[in-house]
Amino acid sequence: MDPDLALLLNGIVSGLLLGGLYAAAAAGLSVSFGMLDVVNIAHPAFMVLGAILVALLQGATGLDPLLLAALVAPGFWAMGALLYGAYHRFFERRGDEAIQGLAFFFGVMFIIEIGIVLAVGPEQHFADAAWADTTWRLGEIDLPLRMLVPAAVSLAAIGALALFLRHGFTGRAIAAVSQDREALRLLAIDPVRIKRFAFGLSLALAALAGGALAVVQPVDAASGHIFIGRVFAIVIMGGLASLGGCVLAALAFGVVENVTATFYGPSWSPAVAFGALLLVLAVRPQGLFGRAA
Amino acid sequence: MGAEAWPGAAGGPGGARGAGAGLLVEGVDAGYGAVRALDGVSLAVAPGETVALLGTNGNGKTTLMRCILGLLRPTRGRIAATIDGVTTELVGRSPEEIVDLGIAIVPEGRRLFPRLSVEENLLLGAYRRSARAAIPRNLEFCYDAFPRLKERRGQAVGSMSGGEQQMVALGRAVMCAPRLLLVDEPSVGLAPILVARTVEKIAELKERLGLTVLMAEQNFHQAIRIADRGYVLVHGRVEFRGDSPAELGDSELVRKFYLGL
Repeated sequence: MDPDLALLLNGIVSGLLLGGLYAAAAAGLSVSFGMLDVVNIAHPAFMVLGAILVALLQGATGLDPLLLAALVAPGFWAMGALLYGAYHRFFERRGDEAIQGLAFFFGVMFIIEIGIVLAVGPEQHFADAAWADTTWRLGEIDLPLRMLVPAAVSLAAIGALALFLRHGFTGRAIAAVSQDREALRLLAIDPVRIKRFAFGLSLALAALAGGALAVVQPVDAASGHIFIGRVFAIVIMGGLASLGGCVLAALAFGVVENVTATFYGPSWSPAVAFGALLLVLAVRPQGLFGRAA
Repeated sequence: MGAEAWPGAAGGPGGARGAGAGLLVEGVDAGYGAVRALDGVSLAVAPGETVALLGTNGNGKTTLMRCILGLLRPTRGRIAATIDGVTTELVGRSPEEIVDLGIAIVPEGRRLFPRLSVEENLLLGAYRRSARAAIPRNLEFCYDAFPRLKERRGQAVGSMSGGEQQMVALGRAVMCAPRLLLVDEPSVGLAPILVARTVEKIAELKERLGLTVLMAEQNFHQAIRIADRGYVLVHGRVEFRGDSPAELGDSELVRKFYLGL
């Protein structure tokens, strides 16, 4: 095979795998920001919290990091439900959510980061998995399981969430809640309960994404920063409330970044990827898969 | 009007012992801040009746609907629903609790979820536990009463016409498995021919499902086509009660204040 072609194919494939990680990081935000109108800027910080928790638990127990992530996810769900309760009580109920709510989550982000430094120190943490050092080869294309397994598990979890949103009673109410919350009350559905539940789900996804992140790269308290711009960009590009759009936007973002990094160097990749975002929004303001209605 | 009388329903709303759903509103005052929108409103809806709440815009019809549904708390007065012989006081309850008693609303402006499909909107109507068991039957009923919705079950509601959206709103209320159906201004935003059809559909749903209906409507002539009785609200007060459509139509007061004849 032409070496340039092999390079391109490898760039695309590892971009897709990176995109799987981005999808995991962004899917939770697609729920909170896209469906609930809660601008949770602390979402990547929760992912990092999950990553460090998984890394520490993995060091202590030797269990599989993705299994550990699934085990801590219910705890994150409960934390999300409590956090939304506070956010609703102090900001949303009074109609103060636009600016003060954003400041609230900004504060939450710093509390998490400082909390991590105080509790476990500023150093990097890393989770090891039995399968992480294996690489499958398809011809000239490398498929490192360190990337492939977290991406596959994340996509499966997002798929399950999408089914739940489409076919469950609570799921449909989550999809409806930002469109008209008072109309939900007239159907005997408490919008606050629905949002509390859904915000919990978004943090449970952050925990799962954290488990994936801890396998892929070493993580410290500030590792969430580089994700903030990316996950918001992906959610917006995907059309806010569309999980399918979020996944495709994440994969596209990963491929654009990775191919750019392969051929032009990593310093170009954010510029090109965010340029692609602007281009998408110029052509389709509602995002790739947003419904205009 | 003074204390509420009970036209044709001795024993109170719901006829206390009988099956069916009734509603009683007694001396209700309500307002927004310093503005008083309802002033001592009393009315009754007996089981199986279709009662029209008439009046032009801004006379308190929607405010009364909001009070019945718990979206606005009256400053004075009593609202009670009697469903299958069980009377429940509504003032102080949340809208979720009130709807869960079996009181469904077709709200003014329809209040659908535009980015969800027809079927998703309908199924959201059946969220409450006692409505879920009846989903297959009620969904079939909706698609039978509104064949258009079956054809378009997968379409986003926001992309449909006003008439089709009104069908979705009626269907969604059917999916709630209600006993008492409140309809707020079904004619708003619809062409006259569609208003007539919507009103006929409400009568059809009422007959087929054995509902009790309270309908707020400013289109007098359409409303009295299906109403058994009616009340006329003027500046937040019940100014006239007509115990038959003819009585409403013949009233000097209605002709003068309301129809402007």
